[in-house]
Amino acid sequence: MTPLLELRGLTHTYGSLRAVDQVDLAVLPGERHALIGPNGAGKSTLFATVAGTLPATAGTVLFDGQDITAQRESERARRGLLRTYQHASLFLNCSVLDNVALAVQRVDRVAHRFDRAARRFGRTQSRALEHLDAVGLAGRAADHAAALSHGERRQLEVAMVLAAHPTLVMFDEPTAGMSAAETERFADLVERLPDSLTLLIVEHDLDVVFRLADRVTVLHLGKVLASGPPEQIRADDAVRSAYLGAARTEDLFTGDPR
Amino acid sequence: MKAASRTMTSAADRTQAVDDTRGRPAARAALVAVPVLVVLTAAPLVLGAYPVSTMTRILAFAVLVLSVDLLTGVTGLPTLGQAAYFGAGAYTAALVGIHLTSDALVQALAGLAAGLVTAAVTGWVAVRARGIVFLMLTLAIGESVHQVADTWSAVGASNGLAGMPPISLFGGAPLVAAGFVYWWVLAVAVIVYAAVALVVRSPYGRTLRGIRDNEPRLRALGYRPALARYGVFCMAGAVAGAGGALWAAHTRFVSPGDLGFEVAALALLSVVIGGAGSLWGPCLGAALVLLVRDNLSASIGGHGPLVLGLAFVAVVFLLPRGIAGIRRRKERLS
Amino acid sequence: MATYLVSVLNGLAMGALLFAIALGLSLVFGMMDVLNLAHGAVYLVGAYIAVALAADGASPAAFVLAVLLAGVAGAVLGGLLAGLTRATPHHLDQALLTLGVSLVVAETLSAVFGNDVHSIAAPAPVAGSVTVFGETYPVYRLLVIAFGLVLAAGVYVLVERSPLGSLIRATVADRGMVSALGVNTGRVLVGVFAAGAGLAAVGGVLAGPILGAQPGLDEKVLLLALVVVVIGGLGSVRGALLGAVLIGQVQALGTALLPEYASFLIFAAMGLVLLLRPAGLLPARAAVHA
Repeated sequence: MTPLLELRGLTHTYGSLRAVDQVDLAVLPGERHALIGPNGAGKSTLFATVAGTLPATAGTVLFDGQDITAQRESERARRGLLRTYQHASLFLNCSVLDNVALAVQRVDRVAHRFDRAARRFGRTQSRALEHLDAVGLAGRAADHAAALSHGERRQLEVAMVLAAHPTLVMFDEPTAGMSAAETERFADLVERLPDSLTLLIVEHDLDVVFRLADRVTVLHLGKVLASGPPEQIRADDAVRSAYLGAARTEDLFTGDPR
Repeated sequence: MKAASRTMTSAADRTQAVDDTRGRPAARAALVAVPVLVVLTAAPLVLGAYPVSTMTRILAFAVLVLSVDLLTGVTGLPTLGQAAYFGAGAYTAALVGIHLTSDALVQALAGLAAGLVTAAVTGWVAVRARGIVFLMLTLAIGESVHQVADTWSAVGASNGLAGMPPISLFGGAPLVAAGFVYWWVLAVAVIVYAAVALVVRSPYGRTLRGIRDNEPRLRALGYRPALARYGVFCMAGAVAGAGGALWAAHTRFVSPGDLGFEVAALALLSVVIGGAGSLWGPCLGAALVLLVRDNLSASIGGHGPLVLGLAFVAVVFLLPRGIAGIRRRKERLS
Repeated sequence: MATYLVSVLNGLAMGALLFAIALGLSLVFGMMDVLNLAHGAVYLVGAYIAVALAADGASPAAFVLAVLLAGVAGAVLGGLLAGLTRATPHHLDQALLTLGVSLVVAETLSAVFGNDVHSIAAPAPVAGSVTVFGETYPVYRLLVIAFGLVLAAGVYVLVERSPLGSLIRATVADRGMVSALGVNTGRVLVGVFAAGAGLAAVGGVLAGPILGAQPGLDEKVLLLALVVVVIGGLGSVRGALLGAVLIGQVQALGTALLPEYASFLIFAAMGLVLLLRPAGLLPARAAVHA
């Protein structure tokens, strides 16, 4: 099977710091791929470089067999490559419904229509509400996004990204700052997502990682340390020894301040 | 670029969502709108010529203020350049009135087109910037157009354009009475208000609010916001141009002062006083600002700008969310 | 040929004045993102101080006194503006505050001095003309050009070669980082604001014998300074110098050749620069933010 997303020697440098260093990575269609590693491993930079927020210093990004390295962020999103941010990035002075509807109306190609009120675009409105319902926010559709709690904001961002018709979603630490119940809801939501959707998840909560992921890649100092099925990563000596001599991989990751 | 994002968020802070009307039953909006319209329509029947003339000017100015609000309040692009498009509309309408036809409809459409074209020609310079840099560029554009009007002899240079005949409607007799001109200006202003309200509530309006709140996020969702920004700039230019045509229909004299810095500043002040993002608030602000400038000014020896200058300072400290914000605060408390 | 020389010299004189005026606007904007819309009004204060003290070919002493007084008055106004704008974190509010101050100042000036157009004679010893390449040219304007050269050299040494200058440049580049290093940026910001405003007021006095003083001049000067800043690049000292020289030349050439369309030319120049270099000719932040 050809990978949906393939990185070849992807590099991003900040001055002399190689935050992402010659990363090769392949994500197969429908895969739930987790990306783990300690703080400063380059996970967020890798995300930003793949999404097009940051330019690649070297290497290529292939998406669905096409080289998208030179494409702008909006073009990549139009191809179905969507991301969330470590700190939920929302439209805070808009209503909760508007946040999701903004994603839906771009997909529906009505984002620049002004011949009638938005609520008269029935299909867009109802699909936006469905996506809100899926994350349990339908009851708050009319509230300002700024009125939501931290956990609710993350849920809203998930709904927004799923509403943008993605083929690959990159979640950047989706459960950080969520309560246990919210984390559970998020994991449930991901498990219910259609198999055709491909996920790349940066996550610190290893329970979530091993519950959801088919494949885990460990990033360390900008380089890929190991990549394989979860069981193999749990047992990997290189992963263990690379981290300050920690006895068990779990100790290391759960000991992470974030 | 960092500065741009910094200023953009601050422009968003300054404004607020317009969509608070959605949940409210349409009946309640009509409950306010219908009496307001009735009172506005009946005004010439009870009031004398002078107050009616003042109200006409307020309405024309309110149309300009709506265009500023569309940019500043809805899209988060604070502007000091809209007076240029207002002036383009006013000059075009006056030229049409003097040389072609006294038909008010033709003049209004010509003014609208002039505002649209002027904004389209000059806008691409401005819409590349955000926040306070945008403010700076629009100011530069506005002042340049003002200088052009002030020196170009084809439009009367600093003397302005005089001798515009009274407007007529649908081939009828010239409308000399202040009341008829007022009704015409009111009708157009109401139509423009409705059109702007529709844009604000449409999917495009939602896109514009998205630009105001978080443009990088919009891009990450697959939008190309540059075109949407340019579009709203042209749209606002058209609205301002229509306002200018209404202004000319009433005053029948256009001078460079009508598109100067002061007019642009007053329009922005009206939006800020009224509450950026709300539509009725800035219209109220427009009335307040013009009344202060024209009436209060006379009673304190022509030093209206002094009062307005103090008003700017006071508004920033006392009314950070404008008149519309007061109401919203009360709603939240109750 | 000789007429062009006169035009070039006029442009240089204009450029020298514009540099003095635009420098403060640019640095204040670059350092704290404050668009000081009262900058033109500060200039006008200087111009009217010249009217009050040195209107009709006064002694050089009176002229120097006017320059000093304008510098102090401008610095005080600048300090006031800095204090006001620091009271609110929103950039639009800050711009509105300076707009309010500019209206109050301009209106106060017209209340005191009336709405007449005042012309100011150059101080007596330099009021005459000299012959330059066969053309007579006012001595005063040559002195203004010299002032511009001295100012540019002085600012260059201060900003590019002194510790204070490196602090200023660092603040323009990344204010957050500078305050994170424990430097009190507030005092630097107020200082630059006051110095920039003082320079603008001094510019008002020096420009007096060329541009005079009248209501509305503040807007024209603010526009020219804005265009200079936009063309040169926000927060950039060298950009302000380049922009000032360019706009000075465009203005002088336009006035000489097509007086009616001079304002078109300035706008066209700005449009052209922004089309080719959206961040200005010598942007200050380019090296820091890719």
